Amino acid sequence: MFIRLVADSFSRRPRHKLLTGAALALGMAVATAALSVSLDVGDRLAREFRSLGANLLVTPQADSLPLEIGGVDYRPVNAGAYLPESALGKLKTIFWRNNIVAFAPAMEVPADAWTKSSQTYSTPPIATHTSLIGTWAGHVVSVPDGSTYVTGIEKTNPWWQVDGRWFKDGAQECVVGKSFAARSGVKIGNALNINTPQKNLSLLVTGVLSGGGPEDEAIVAPITIAQEIAGKAGEYRRLYVSAVTKPEDEFGRRDPNTLAPADYERWYCTPYISSIALQIKQVLPGADVRVIRRVAEGEGAILTRVRTLLWLVTFASLLAAALAVGASSAASVIERRTEIGLMKALGAGSGTVGFLLAAEQLLLALVGGAVGYSLGIFLARLVGQRIFGVAPEFSFLVLGVIIGLAAAVTLLGSAVPLRRASRFEPAPILRGE
Amino acid sequence: MPDRKMFWRIMRRLLAANRGRLFVILLALGTGAAITAALLNLQVDAKRRITSEFRAFGPNVIIAPRNKISSVNATTLDENITRQFSEIPYGQPVLAVASLYLIAQASPQRSGRFVPVVVAGEKVVTGIVGILVTKSKFAAGAQSQCRVGRKVAEQLHLQADGNLFLRNGGREESCRVAAVTANGGPEDNQASINLQAAQRLAGLPGKISVIQLTVTGTPAGIQKYINTLAEHLPEADVHGVRQFTEGEAKIYNRISGILSATVALVLVLTGLCVMAAMTNVAMERRSDVGLMKAIGGATRRVLRLFLAEAAVLGLTGGMLGATVGILLSMWLGKAVFGIAARPRLIVYPVAVALTIIVAIAGAYPLRRLANIRPAAVFRGEP
Repeated sequence: MFIRLVADSFSRRPRHKLLTGAALALGMAVATAALSVSLDVGDRLAREFRSLGANLLVTPQADSLPLEIGGVDYRPVNAGAYLPESALGKLKTIFWRNNIVAFAPAMEVPADAWTKSSQTYSTPPIATHTSLIGTWAGHVVSVPDGSTYVTGIEKTNPWWQVDGRWFKDGAQECVVGKSFAARSGVKIGNALNINTPQKNLSLLVTGVLSGGGPEDEAIVAPITIAQEIAGKAGEYRRLYVSAVTKPEDEFGRRDPNTLAPADYERWYCTPYISSIALQIKQVLPGADVRVIRRVAEGEGAILTRVRTLLWLVTFASLLAAALAVGASSAASVIERRTEIGLMKALGAGSGTVGFLLAAEQLLLALVGGAVGYSLGIFLARLVGQRIFGVAPEFSFLVLGVIIGLAAAVTLLGSAVPLRRASRFEPAPILRGE
Repeated sequence: MPDRKMFWRIMRRLLAANRGRLFVILLALGTGAAITAALLNLQVDAKRRITSEFRAFGPNVIIAPRNKISSVNATTLDENITRQFSEIPYGQPVLAVASLYLIAQASPQRSGRFVPVVVAGEKVVTGIVGILVTKSKFAAGAQSQCRVGRKVAEQLHLQADGNLFLRNGGREESCRVAAVTANGGPEDNQASINLQAAQRLAGLPGKISVIQLTVTGTPAGIQKYINTLAEHLPEADVHGVRQFTEGEAKIYNRISGILSATVALVLVLTGLCVMAAMTNVAMERRSDVGLMKAIGGATRRVLRLFLAEAAVLGLTGGMLGATVGILLSMWLGKAVFGIAARPRLIVYPVAVALTIIVAIAGAYPLRRLANIRPAAVFRGEP
């Protein structure tokens, strides 16, 4: 009888039910979209922030003081310490290996460069004094677990643009900075002669680099060339690491040495920049890992703010969805006052009537919630695709929350008019008063 | 005109007839308007805030000598350029630091072992449309002060309040270490002193190597400022720090996109909510409409009456709600960014207008009332 009543209610007034269901579905769709987008946005934005470049800098611990002006190191080649390049694969074995987006070692050597095109009939070739930065571009790193990983300076410094193409790893090729190219008249395809006290060699120019920094004045070449000039095979001086991190909160800023073992475990297993720095230090002996505070802290501050803001907006949307759905379910109960009056006149208790209506509303909530969820996922994909180019990941959490919310809201929305309805005397309602 | 008088009289009665109902509708409309106003205001403000938040990354515009040669004896700029640049108008305050870099020999004792160190002479120049404020980063005193980077302090075994002696080509300067700084940047490998002291040390009076500007604003605004600067300072090379200008532009677009998208979603939802409430009200009015039609009211006039009611309700609810919403957004701005959001006057009329539109749209189902047969209503038929 109960099921028949519910089924009857749906089949007798399909249009009404459809309207309430549509309101429910629409509200839940918007709630789903807002929720999935804001659940996903933190990770997406954190990755987006990696366009700011490296946030960790690794230097040799026993290094002498770098004489660095405008990003160019003026130390002689034989001063200071170096780190072995072969150990870099271990970076992809640390606990947060998947958070390490890119890394690239660098070694700078002073050099004089000249090219045939800067030579005319009357003047001898003019050598330009500059610095040669040896680094990786599209370098294949073999990780100790047997896999390989491709990384390079184009990933740690994504704002470096190359006109032409990057040099091939290990080849006798180079890219030249924009200002250097303008000054020395070097063009893509030219052979660039490099003279240093230690060695003379010729490199093929494959591209012109513009980065807006000191690299515009320099020559960027495979690290093997810089190593050859410096006579330091397989070594590097600086390593840039770009890692996706969690903004440091109160807990993340605490000194790990003072933490209790359980807290230390938690700190170690959270991708705070300081814990990633420690893990890198553990796999690269003799290295000093520094957090580039400017990048890391600015990033943390903005991420925290944007997240709070988005949660706020999501909360507002959930509230608005709840109000919309509550109002429409209240309306559907009010409309059925006559029916309720009749049922009560025929001897149904308030409890039975309430139960019947609640069951109806719940059924509606389930159907409406499910439809709304699929609609919302579609909407979220649309928004995610437009803004980040990637659809948000599917989450069962959202489905659970949405169905639960739909049920709670419809029940709450119908509870108030139901209570009022249960207090009505059947007679006046049936009379149409 | 008695017709008009009657119209308003019915309106008053309609509104006042059921206090509870009036309250519920105003609540729904007001909440909608409040959410609309708060989000719109917060959205405008948040985008602006995010741009100033970006300045945590430090300087984003560089003014450097045009023909830079990569060597220690780099060409320099004239210090007077700081005066010139501060006369170029920009809507917001710009922080500028003029620096002169050199490599000098440093030691904690006058007779100790001297090590080469990069020395940065710094002067802060704040340019706000024609007003030039220069101030030293270092406290005035009998002896000049300096700050040293963490690495320098480690190498020279320096501590705060110790002395630092700097030598370059027979010239010597000394200073007291005011602080040891650590920020992970190249500053860790430098000692920074007063600009004048550095100029004396380098033998380059009135010269600077670079000016670093910290400019707040949207990516497009900053680019425009860079172009203006480049036009006014032909002798210098003005460029954005690509690392930050480019990254920021990307992130700013993402954040503002996501914010606009969610706010739009919430606004649609709020409209839906208000419409649902208004529809309820309309359906409750069946018997009123029936009566009016029975005593000779034309459908068109009856409809006009109800639409006018919806508009009045929308106006009242919208005005109340928008006020609450703007106050709410100021408080929310404080909660998120630490500074109360500035109320934007444009948001107020927009929120009120949206509420009125939604209220009238919500009364749309009343159109169906045209089909009502009075007799059926009086018989109590559904």
